[in-house]
Amino acid sequence: MGTVLTLSPKARGGALPASTGFEEFFRTEYPLLVRIAYGIVRDPHLAEDVAQDVLIAAQQRFPEPLGSDHAQAWVKVATTHASLNVIRSTRRRRVRLERAPQATPATGPEELAILNEEGREVRIALARMPRHAATVLVLRHSGLSYAEIAEAMEVNIGQVGTMLRRAEARFRKEVDHATRS
Amino acid sequence: MRHVPDGTLRRLIDEPFAVADRDARHVEGCGRCRARSQRIAEDVATVELFFDVRVPADTDAGLARSRASLIEKPSRQTTWRVRPRRSWRFMGASLSTGASLAAVGVVIVGVAAAATLTTVFAPTQVARVPVSQADVQEITQLMGLNTTTSFDGFRSPSGSEMLPFGMLSWTSSGGAGQVASLADAEAATGLAVTLPTTLPNGVSGVDRYAVMPKVTATIAFGAGAGSRLSGSSLVVSLGPAVAVSYSGATTIDDIGPLAILTVAQPIVTSTGATTNQIENFLLSQPGVPADVAAEIRLLGNLQTTLPIPTPPGASSESTEIDGSPAVVVVDNSNVASGAIWEDHKGVVHAVAGLLDKEDVLSVAQQIG
Repeated sequence: MGTVLTLSPKARGGALPASTGFEEFFRTEYPLLVRIAYGIVRDPHLAEDVAQDVLIAAQQRFPEPLGSDHAQAWVKVATTHASLNVIRSTRRRRVRLERAPQATPATGPEELAILNEEGREVRIALARMPRHAATVLVLRHSGLSYAEIAEAMEVNIGQVGTMLRRAEARFRKEVDHATRS
Repeated sequence: MRHVPDGTLRRLIDEPFAVADRDARHVEGCGRCRARSQRIAEDVATVELFFDVRVPADTDAGLARSRASLIEKPSRQTTWRVRPRRSWRFMGASLSTGASLAAVGVVIVGVAAAATLTTVFAPTQVARVPVSQADVQEITQLMGLNTTTSFDGFRSPSGSEMLPFGMLSWTSSGGAGQVASLADAEAATGLAVTLPTTLPNGVSGVDRYAVMPKVTATIAFGAGAGSRLSGSSLVVSLGPAVAVSYSGATTIDDIGPLAILTVAQPIVTSTGATTNQIENFLLSQPGVPADVAAEIRLLGNLQTTLPIPTPPGASSESTEIDGSPAVVVVDNSNVASGAIWEDHKGVVHAVAGLLDKEDVLSVAQQIG
């Protein structure tokens, strides 16, 4: 079994106070981060794990994240990268993803089969793409605006359209390839 | 007539009001641009089908699960622990410029070795990781290394240096030196070196060939590393390497227009300690900046990825050279650029010089 390093309090029980600025940040960002992660890993439980780990790391990096554009941008890119790391990692992990239920329990068997196949194709396509291309594509199709993508990826907003166009063309090509394989 | 670029056509689909009126009017009246726009829209529609997903996110449950790992008052003195989790993990690392790289490198190499337990760290690709000069200074102080130790080699063929938690010692068959020809360099190192056939403008030809023998460095953890690690060691194999420098019209200080480095894949083995013990120890050092430690967790996979320094002030991006992931770094004045990648045979290549990004990539593509 692998492990994930996480931050922990130095000599205390570890309970977070009932409400803190970071908790508000967590609540605001978590749903979108789960969606970004799910768009890549296609496993709802794994997506939540990724989002949680990123937010735990974000707390250390941005102790006062509320109102910080940089913090908001960082967690989105970190979630994308962490999710791409998951699908690009070892064969054993990929096998696990292939076996994982990739939809919510309410999904019927036929729909689940379709979603599983679609998830496989998406993972293969994204794993074969350059990281920055996969990132811009996932961020845009998770609902981020061009301005938000430019902030997150630290590029000029004028570059986003070009990056996105190339990424989508590449994705379509990779999906076609994955479908045939 | 100037046609509208693809990027603008793409944005026209998502954010039409953000596109200049003249471009929007052009598309309306230009059959060629309308046809391109149509093709782009078809690709967008295809991609949207794959990303039209809904996933429920239980924020309360997520927060509850994370509470134990969130801290009340974040500080750079936070300790780390290992949390059992599913069969996957994040790893990564960090580097920067200058002689202080040695210190950061030791931390990275240690974490890398820990990541693979007592087997082998043998990265098959590269990834960029940014750090600040302050990060490097903090780690340098942590490691207690002096600034005469350089990352690309050691100041003598063999020697040792005390670290706060043990002893760093290194041995090699000799120092780095110049050789007369590429054939001599290949014979001395056993590496097959590919050089570009077409040189960028301003680069006239090979100035000199240099070789660095294989260096084996050992970090022996002492009492300062605690009872669990004491007696364990990391053995790091660096090189051999061949450096080819070129002459040309442009030279700043000692930096020539182009240099090409070919180096064997670095390999690390660890003995005695376990993954968690070494990783936990290194990341728990109070001198390791929290943000760097966070990067170590979130960026790349050290089992397969060699972290590349991206200096503060420089821009960097990921690309591919002959199908292998590569990192391209351009300094902030756009005077110097570099690219580094590991090929499919496990050889790391670096191309750098007083060239723009396109020239560096052109040379890199020729090497493959």
